[in-house]
Amino acid sequence: MKSREPGDEDAGLPAGTEQSDLELVRRAQQNERGAFDLLVLKYQHKVIKLVARLLRDPTEAEDVAQEAFVKAYRALGSFRGDSAFYTWLYRIAVNTARNSIASRQRRPLDYEVELSESEQNNVAARLKHDDTPEATVLSEEIRQTVNEAIELLPEDLRTAIVLREIEGLSYEEIATAMDCPVGTVRSRIFRAREAIDRALKPLLD
Amino acid sequence: MTDQIREQLSALLDGELPRDEMGLLMRRLDKDPELRRTFGNYALIGETLRAPGGRIAAPSLAARVSAAIGEAPAIVGKTSTAGPAATVELPQHVALWKRPIVRTALAASAAVTAVLLIRPDVTQVAQLEVTPASSFAMSASPTPAQSQRLAGYLVAHSQFSTPMVRRNLLSSLLAADPGITRVSYEMGQAP
Repeated sequence: MKSREPGDEDAGLPAGTEQSDLELVRRAQQNERGAFDLLVLKYQHKVIKLVARLLRDPTEAEDVAQEAFVKAYRALGSFRGDSAFYTWLYRIAVNTARNSIASRQRRPLDYEVELSESEQNNVAARLKHDDTPEATVLSEEIRQTVNEAIELLPEDLRTAIVLREIEGLSYEEIATAMDCPVGTVRSRIFRAREAIDRALKPLLD
Repeated sequence: MTDQIREQLSALLDGELPRDEMGLLMRRLDKDPELRRTFGNYALIGETLRAPGGRIAAPSLAARVSAAIGEAPAIVGKTSTAGPAATVELPQHVALWKRPIVRTALAASAAVTAVLLIRPDVTQVAQLEVTPASSFAMSASPTPAQSQRLAGYLVAHSQFSTPMVRRNLLSSLLAADPGITRVSYEMGQAP
């Protein structure tokens, strides 16, 4: 599968996502806070991945992502739907990450010391450790669990979830491809998610 | 949380939930943290399938954002151009007229107008504007004829008010003069 770069911000979002997001944004603009909470839940992992790739210190990713979401909420009144919500959120996240980097560069060093070669190796080892924090390890476990759960699904459920999540087809397109009613597609995708969610529960609880 | 509700949640994530099912589901989501957690997990599954690897958000991130937003000012400059759906429902200022508290305020305003209109002496009306609420409340003592006319106005206007306000007005009438004094007192206290 092609891995996405920071430049192709709205690539790969499944069909229907944009319209669904606009509806949630419209509700959030009318001060329905729950609607914005759902947008955060939906995009938190995407935003974290993005800012972690941009920041030199990945341990800052959580704080920068949080700041980006708060900025997005405060600016939501000016969102007019000219672009997809995630494209708009992506720009805010990138700018927030850039500001964080610039702010860090302006920060004066408290001290400056010459490091010996062994000390430099220690720092490098520590940085390497920071580069694979617990969250990344968890991410790898989640990836494995999801893949294993998908393999265990009955074929009709596996096909439905793959066509939806990886190929990005709409329910109607999946119904045509699988020669079944749209309601059946909705049910199959739900049951596939439920099965995967059950497998993830021990990791996420 | 039933399978039917979680299936709706799954369809919501995919943008495939019919609009008429959305309102109730959103209200359920507001009240049910387990439902929100499930929504977050469904989103995580999709994200993992589309773009495996990399960091994932800590479980606390959404809660931290929510807490930070709780301290942030409310959204200003709301637009009605968020999408095609924005034109379907009534604008917020129209919807306000339908809210019970606004209906109550309108009924109260009508009652105030009625009381002012039936007072025979104009100088007393002028005095009303400068008299402190407490002293005004003590001075209200209409004649039986005035009370009768006032009752007519209140009953007529109560048809446009909520049942609770209507009940209060009728209680006031039944209580005769002391009730009318109470109405006047509340008028004097209104901002």
